[in-house]
Amino acid sequence: MAFRTLYERYSERTLRYVFTLLRNRHLAEEVVQDTMVAVWKSAAKFAGRSKVSTWIFGIARNKALDLLRKEKRGERIPDTPLVSPDPSAGIQREQRVKAALETLSEDHREVVFLTFYEQLSYAEISGLLGVPEGTVKSRMFHAKRKLAEALG
Amino acid sequence: MSDCRAIQELIPWYVAGSLSSEERQRVAAHLVGCDACREELAIVLGLQLASHAAFEEIERPAPEVWERIREETVGGRSAKLDLGLFLLGFSMGAQLRGRRVPMRADLRVLGRNVSLFNTQRGGWK
Repeated sequence: MAFRTLYERYSERTLRYVFTLLRNRHLAEEVVQDTMVAVWKSAAKFAGRSKVSTWIFGIARNKALDLLRKEKRGERIPDTPLVSPDPSAGIQREQRVKAALETLSEDHREVVFLTFYEQLSYAEISGLLGVPEGTVKSRMFHAKRKLAEALG
Repeated sequence: MSDCRAIQELIPWYVAGSLSSEERQRVAAHLVGCDACREELAIVLGLQLASHAAFEEIERPAPEVWERIREETVGGRSAKLDLGLFLLGFSMGAQLRGRRVPMRADLRVLGRNVSLFNTQRGGWK
């Protein structure tokens, strides 16, 4: 597979994942760039123990968390909405869920993304995040409650 | 029902289709006889559809992102050092033409063909 093909296949998904964590488009694109360069440089280290996507997500996640740690040290990452509100949609169900996604913590939103968008199993998410499977289930349980409340 | 909490914890991955077949069967069997968990299933299906749509709206990276990556990788000065590390392919071909058998060998490096050997052009490169 050509590197460009690899980029085409995974960059959009990686951006969505990183944006879910950072909620900053510019920084998310920087992380995608750094991630793909790291993938290029460390391709020989890919042992095939996980999917290519989860390997790339692991690299992207570490880079995104580094940025979040900088934020906690005082270098503020400005928040931008996960998606732009659509005024014509009013209080439609999906809009309320989108707004509720904004209110979730990064940890909870991440599990929602990996489960519902990437369709990873809880075991795969546990491996990617480096937390026990019970923690993954618990994060989803609470995220689900909060999202369901938004639906009224 | 004491089992409901455990089942409801699994429902998001049931909806996403990422449970093991054993767990999927366990959830399905429970759902048949449990109104509360079927109600939970309906809620989670709605959440899955709405949140998937929200994530789908995040646009792909700008074209400049690839350009910057390309400069640092396949198009960069140091790229040659890494060529051997990425995905390689090797192909050989032969074609009968009269009494001569032209042969060629190509190394595919990151999508580009690098000709190693071609008898029509003469010898290994």
